[in-house]
Amino acid sequence: MPARPGPSVPSEAVVSEHARGSGAPPGGTARGTPGGPAGAAASAPDVVRLKRGVVWYRSWRLYAGAAVALAVYVYGWQVTQIRLGELWRGAYLIAPFASALASPDVLVRDNPTVRVAAPFYYGGESPPAAAAAPGPVLRLSRSSGAIGDRITATGQGFPPDRSGMLWWENQIGQRQQLMAVRTDRGGRFGAAFTAPEVQGTHNLVSAEIVAGTGPLRLSPTFFVVLNRMVETVFLALMGTTMGVLFAVPCSFLGAKNLTGHIPGGPAVYALTRTVFNVTRSIEALVLAIIFTVWVGLGPFAGVLALGVHSIASLGKLYSEAIESIDTGPIEAIVATGASTLQVVRYGVVPQIVPQFIAFTIYRWDINVRFSTVIGFVGGGGIGFVLQQYINLLQWRQAATALWMIAIVVAAMDYASAVVRERVV
Amino acid sequence: MHSTILQIEHLTKVYPDGTRALDDVSFEVARGEFLVIIGLSGSGKSTLLRCINRLIEPTRGTIAFRGHNVVVAPRHELREIRREIGMVFQQFNLVRRASVLTNVLTGRLGYVPPSWALANYFPPSLVDRAFANLQRVGIPDKAYARADTLSGGQQQRVGIARALMQDPALILADEPVASLDPAMSHSVLRYLEELNRTDGITVICSLHFLSLARRYGTRILALKAGRIVFDGLPAEIDERRFKAIYGDDAVEVEIS
Repeated sequence: MPARPGPSVPSEAVVSEHARGSGAPPGGTARGTPGGPAGAAASAPDVVRLKRGVVWYRSWRLYAGAAVALAVYVYGWQVTQIRLGELWRGAYLIAPFASALASPDVLVRDNPTVRVAAPFYYGGESPPAAAAAPGPVLRLSRSSGAIGDRITATGQGFPPDRSGMLWWENQIGQRQQLMAVRTDRGGRFGAAFTAPEVQGTHNLVSAEIVAGTGPLRLSPTFFVVLNRMVETVFLALMGTTMGVLFAVPCSFLGAKNLTGHIPGGPAVYALTRTVFNVTRSIEALVLAIIFTVWVGLGPFAGVLALGVHSIASLGKLYSEAIESIDTGPIEAIVATGASTLQVVRYGVVPQIVPQFIAFTIYRWDINVRFSTVIGFVGGGGIGFVLQQYINLLQWRQAATALWMIAIVVAAMDYASAVVRERVV
Repeated sequence: MHSTILQIEHLTKVYPDGTRALDDVSFEVARGEFLVIIGLSGSGKSTLLRCINRLIEPTRGTIAFRGHNVVVAPRHELREIRREIGMVFQQFNLVRRASVLTNVLTGRLGYVPPSWALANYFPPSLVDRAFANLQRVGIPDKAYARADTLSGGQQQRVGIARALMQDPALILADEPVASLDPAMSHSVLRYLEELNRTDGITVICSLHFLSLARRYGTRILALKAGRIVFDGLPAEIDERRFKAIYGDDAVEVEIS
């Protein structure tokens, strides 16, 4: 903005003269008022000035920029429907999941129990009298009656000071909990309950008292999740391998220093790079959806999705590794009278192979992380069971899957960093 | 001793951008000479050296190395010419990630069957020679170190050992000490001098410092803008000739 004369913009006039390095401002007294901006600029020569020679806090661009930024973020806040209050109001919904994270379904105990049953018949019929047997005994105040009767159960001869459960079992073996019980020091307990409304007449009341602490073992959920995790890691491996197999040859076509010298090379270069960029811009999740339509649900669709995405990203990285090759050693080896094969083997390969390996491991690492969500769209892997657990609100099982993902991904991340550091 | 090993006539190099790096350069090099090429940056020193083994294709002129015309040599003959010409570079040009031993062995590639490269095979006799050459440049203990872990002076000595593997009749040294400190410069140049005197290897070496050129050269060739402006004995370069080579504003800097 050129300095305009006139009292309305005194600071610009003074500052632009200052920038020209002239001594006394020509006609300065006519433009600046004493004690005004002109005086301030003179007494503080180090004040920050923008390129155009305007003191920064007088730049209209600053305020315009701030206003635009404010407008952008206000609109962004509305359009993304940010309601921070929901974080509080909805907290109770996610609380079970939070507590499940602390107790994932990994280890279970098979505690030995003592189980004794006594019959209770509806509809007037009486059960046959039980033969006296040694060991714990469960007695009911009556052995037949109707729905809604009040029944008292007493037990004796059970392990002392243990907790347990009273069960009601109907004629076809369906069980429901009646109440929790606890034995006293003498191994006895007493409990009163109401005969529940069930189908059939021949019922069974049973007491199951935990008799001890059994050994810990891995839960069935753990094995399901582990199986899927193995599938996930291999899904990533196969996808990465597919990417490598296609990306290595393509990357030579996408390297400017190789294609630049041959006829038609620049066109090949441009085409290869464009294909890489377009393919890379399609998210692997979208590719997975497409491939599940093509080859059906399952890990193979995931392999194809990760593979295609890996071709593009690895191809670009490989091409750049080839482009960053140091021509000095190649020149030196050519100068020894080496053939093309020898030059490639001793001048080119040692320079690109470590980088290729590093990029490949990095990609595998990314693919393992990514294949955990590819199951959400039917691409196989651990994401598939995770989604099921979440949909069924099986939070402890979901927590098991999440922990498994976290541990495996972190381990892969660490291992890949270590390996990359060693090869490069 | 006075037989000619290299004969260059009317050598001209014009780069695609029109730069005339060499302009009708003609000279002969006798067997056993230590020829130092001096001149400002961009005077054509590197281009001249690279034309001799055709790392750069000359535009016009002839280069005769031991009677073979390098300029028109077909591929296989060019390889046979190249393997007798060792080359040492300013930036050492070692394969940084490979071991010192491998780098030295690559000097022999012109003599071994190319298919051996697929298996990374070098016969034990060559490995022994590589060790002997490393011994000669004083770093036998570094054979299994990665090339980029060595200091600049050590890397350049690996470069010399690599050139030695070629059994060269001629060594081209392109600013071999420009990346090194003064003490290292002398160390490296003394190795070249020893090869020149003991083994009778002809050396063509470009240098920045006139003091080094005077100390090591048996003959000095000065280039300016692609043309030879001086060709003679080191002692013949006086103040007037110095200014003719480097320009009127130049002041000679000593490297001790």
